[in-house]
Amino acid sequence: MELIYTLRVLIKSILFVILWSKCEGRESEFNYVTCGSLVKLLNTRHNVRLHSHDVKYGSGSGQQSVTGVESADDANSYWRIRGKPDGTCQRGVPIQCGQAVRITHMTTGRNLHTHHFSSPLSNNQEVSAFGENGEGDDLDVWRVQCDGSIWEREEAVRFKHVGTDAFLSVTGEQYGNPIQGQKEVHGMGIANQNNYWKAMEGVFILPSQEPLRHNHEEL
Amino acid sequence: MAVKGMNLCSVCCLALYFVTAVLAGRDFYKILGVSKSASVRDIKKAYRKLALQLHPDRNQDDPTAADKFADLGSAYEVLSDEEKRKQYDAYGEDGLKEGHHGSHNDIFSSFFGDFGFMFGGNRQGQQDRNIPRGNDIVLDLEVTLEEVYSGNFVEVVRNKPVAKEAPGKRKCNCRQEMRTTQLGPGRFQMSQEVVCDECPNIKLVNEERTLEVEIEQGVRDEMEYPFIGEGEPHIDGEPGDLRFRIKVMKHPVFERRGDDLYTNVTISLVEALVGFEMDITHLDGHKVHIVRDKITKPGARVWKKGEGLPNFDNNNIRGSLIVSFDVEFPETQLNDNQKEGVRAILKQASVQKVYNGLQGY
Repeated sequence: MELIYTLRVLIKSILFVILWSKCEGRESEFNYVTCGSLVKLLNTRHNVRLHSHDVKYGSGSGQQSVTGVESADDANSYWRIRGKPDGTCQRGVPIQCGQAVRITHMTTGRNLHTHHFSSPLSNNQEVSAFGENGEGDDLDVWRVQCDGSIWEREEAVRFKHVGTDAFLSVTGEQYGNPIQGQKEVHGMGIANQNNYWKAMEGVFILPSQEPLRHNHEEL
Repeated sequence: MAVKGMNLCSVCCLALYFVTAVLAGRDFYKILGVSKSASVRDIKKAYRKLALQLHPDRNQDDPTAADKFADLGSAYEVLSDEEKRKQYDAYGEDGLKEGHHGSHNDIFSSFFGDFGFMFGGNRQGQQDRNIPRGNDIVLDLEVTLEEVYSGNFVEVVRNKPVAKEAPGKRKCNCRQEMRTTQLGPGRFQMSQEVVCDECPNIKLVNEERTLEVEIEQGVRDEMEYPFIGEGEPHIDGEPGDLRFRIKVMKHPVFERRGDDLYTNVTISLVEALVGFEMDITHLDGHKVHIVRDKITKPGARVWKKGEGLPNFDNNNIRGSLIVSFDVEFPETQLNDNQKEGVRAILKQASVQKVYNGLQGY
């Protein structure tokens, strides 16, 4: 009687200890930026988020402008990380360092784009948002440059344009009206502190399991 | 004698213990309506469906609604976690009581969003009071045809700015007002002034949580799954919503039209003439068997009922799989003997009908 009682208590205590040690809050431990995720990109040197809106450049190409903004709660700062048009990017798979991606603006559906036009304030290379519904052209592709093997959320990365080899940068020039206070985003050939970007707020898609497979005929 | 009595007593005690253990613990599998061997996906699917049905807001007449809903939450919490499920399967609910933690609200909101699912689609009080709302976020979620066929769950991590109280005050509700100042007897001046109220100070802090989106079987392109309150915050009001918009991707083998699936098969000329037997591997791996013993003409179609996609509104209804055949002719040219042989076997008279094929003649 005594023996069984103590045995039960022992089992229950062991169970309790095991469960308690594994008990954590439901925090996420997912640290990578994956294909299909929606992110806000923060320039770490100037503390502004990559942003676009339905305002066109008054010079250069006249395409939709891309700027850096200070506010953290603007839905126009969300960009979707997608693969190249050949469909090699599977939903939820972490982006590799060196991988070529397209960066699509959430609200206007245009891709981050650069070309041989001058930027309005600093005369560097103009960066615009181009295309319709996520489809633009070959100059929409950027390579993610980072130190490790995978783009980690905690890590600041560089974006090097495939085609012109320019780095996505901010050097601090500010616009006046109608986009008062927003900073110029442009392409520059030199890699320095101005071209580091970090993934901040967003919706990060985790890799999914494969849907169920049956190996026999359904009844 | 004392030993024998002790053995009988201990057996009785054990039996009593197991009986009470079984009776005292809840049957989580029954609460969720799934079998003991259900996969995590089945459990998530069952929870999501039942949570919508059993939510107390939806069952205001039922006094046991809150308890049923709480049971559902506990059942999901245990069965969706591998470790807890093992403990539960071995020792029943009693084996878990000490480790029980986490609120049901967390689980519910990871499927439906921060404010819970507002039934009827519109948010309570939205139309009466004019509360400013933050922006909505729309995420295009690409899904494969395999996922449309079998269903799937996608986990995402939402990192969002949340308004938190901060010390001090801030200016809010700023507006322009006309002020009248008296310059002298009978002389007034009107001027515009910016007037603000004082509100508690707010700062934005980034918070992170996991959300679960279900790709329901038969889901159609452009359908949306909203998560209330998971959008962008608004300093003076409520946060907007996060909406997942389904985008069904093209498939290399199957084409979708409604609930039907279309596919093409190329067969050899010999197979077209003498017949053949083949298997088509479907989206979930099962095989669709096709047997032909008559001649199969190019463009011929075989209809396989029930082999299409499940209907979104009723998963038990399925569309059809329509297989269209085209014929590949042999590459090698025939010599004279073979040509005679072919004429002899086929015994088909010469047909040389000339007509306008592009206008339906």
